[in-house]
Amino acid sequence: MKKYLYIIKTQIIKSMTYEFNVYGNIVMQTIIMITSSYFWKALYRNQNSAAGVNAEDMLTYIIMSSVLSVLLITNVERRIEQSVGKGTVATDMMKPVNLFGVYFAEDIGSILALVFQNMLPILLIGSLLIKVPVMKDSGDLPLFLLSVLLSFLINWLIAALFGMIAFTAVNISALIQVKKHLIRLLSGSIIPIWFFPESVSKVLSALPFIYIYQLPLSIYIGRGSRAEHLAQLQIQFVWLLILAGVFVAVQRQVTRKVMVQGG
Amino acid sequence: MIDVNHLSKDYLLKKKAPGLKGALKGLIHPQFEVIHAVRDLSFHIDEGEIVGFIGPNGAGKSTTIKMMSGILTPTEGSVRINGENITEHRKTVVRNIGVVFGQRSQLNWDLRLGETFELLKHIYEIDPIDYENTLEVMDGILGIRELIDKPVRQMSLGQRVKGDLTASMLHSPSVLFLDEPTIGLDVSSKFALRRFIKEINQIRKTTVILTTHDLGDIKELCERLIIINHGVMMEDGKLSQIVDRIAPYKTLVAEYYDEQAPEHEKCEMTFHEGNIAKYRFMKKDITAAELIADLSRQKEIKDVSIEEAGIDDIIKIAYGSGSIL
Repeated sequence: MKKYLYIIKTQIIKSMTYEFNVYGNIVMQTIIMITSSYFWKALYRNQNSAAGVNAEDMLTYIIMSSVLSVLLITNVERRIEQSVGKGTVATDMMKPVNLFGVYFAEDIGSILALVFQNMLPILLIGSLLIKVPVMKDSGDLPLFLLSVLLSFLINWLIAALFGMIAFTAVNISALIQVKKHLIRLLSGSIIPIWFFPESVSKVLSALPFIYIYQLPLSIYIGRGSRAEHLAQLQIQFVWLLILAGVFVAVQRQVTRKVMVQGG
Repeated sequence: MIDVNHLSKDYLLKKKAPGLKGALKGLIHPQFEVIHAVRDLSFHIDEGEIVGFIGPNGAGKSTTIKMMSGILTPTEGSVRINGENITEHRKTVVRNIGVVFGQRSQLNWDLRLGETFELLKHIYEIDPIDYENTLEVMDGILGIRELIDKPVRQMSLGQRVKGDLTASMLHSPSVLFLDEPTIGLDVSSKFALRRFIKEINQIRKTTVILTTHDLGDIKELCERLIIINHGVMMEDGKLSQIVDRIAPYKTLVAEYYDEQAPEHEKCEMTFHEGNIAKYRFMKKDITAAELIADLSRQKEIKDVSIEEAGIDDIIKIAYGSGSIL
């Protein structure tokens, strides 16, 4: 365990090396926040509430969506793709560690660095330019934090499963893009799925994606009752178990298939 | 120490027909070809040996090293280090081995060298006192301390290899695998590397297995050679024995005062140009001293030198690109 903590620490040091890199995401998230705030303000011009949510709550939703997106940045797919593509996977395999434990620790380290370099600036910019995103009912805070934790794990497992494809397919950059946009669109990170036609939203409810963004954000803006939230948290937990099960089953197979390119 | 049993590795290679048509065909109906990178290798290595693993490019040396160090899973056969199967117990067995690839570094590009070492110290759970001791020893051999605060991306190749060697020794492995460690190094770095291998072998009794194309490395370091080609074992034995068996001759180079060079019945003249002549003779037929004496009786010799029956020749023969003249 201690070694993985040290990997996290080293990754934080590494993340600090290329400070310039992280400003891009702040700019992008600022643009997303501002344009979607115009979008929602225009939509709500003639009505106070839609699907049980008012304009103010929707603005909170989009700011927190951008803040949350920082926690959901994963590098594991690209990490696997690069180390397989360049053959550096060899140097990871020769150490007495679990390969995916290393990738997980590295992602945690990068995200911890990003909390200061990215998350706080985005929260600050959103608060200054749009509104201060206050939580509806602070009594829901434990529930919110729990659902964020579960959403982080679900998101990471999906990313790791995608990354595993690289062990056999080598080049998966296009797939990584597909996955990224799929999650962005189907998870309610930009448009909550309660605005989608009922049939579509039913299908999406059956997929794990909405438990990544929409559930924690709904809890944050207080949409739905606590009983509903608890029920959805259970589904979220079941998704985590399913994905973890698939992950454990696949990872053993996949490391046996490791190819080392070149030399 | 190390037992390799009937080790084989097959790759599936996608067959690609040339051109656009071939690319489309490969997309719809891919054809695979099985490549036997390593075929049925078996050998045993004892503690404290330095074994040279040689063979032409693509012979399967690196693949074998990668299987022996737990990076690749063999298609068939097994590798046991201290009795433990490396495929089944990778995480425990790799604590006992160190690996250096000349062509890829395990050092972290974005960190200072010392930070990578600290990370390894935690990954291998190295005792702080042992860690300091090892650094001390490595500093003595390679002068590593002056590099410790340098970011890896600013290092020269030679410095990086020194860093990689130290990194591979931090956890005091009993076996060290070196895959073409001298590739691209200048002469002084090469010497440092050879001294390093000799010293860790003497001080720490580390077993060293190295692949190389550098004849100097082999002459300097390896008591035992394993030659493979096309994934198959060609030779396994003491360097001197292989030399005696495959190329049991020496070459005498004689320089005369003019262009006439005498012949000798117990040897063969392999080269004659200008004042210089080369004689190849079997060690069992005649000694060098007798040959020189005989020749100088016929003609006055200005200068002589003896070319030791060559490891170069052995390599040529083993690689199948030459024959004894």
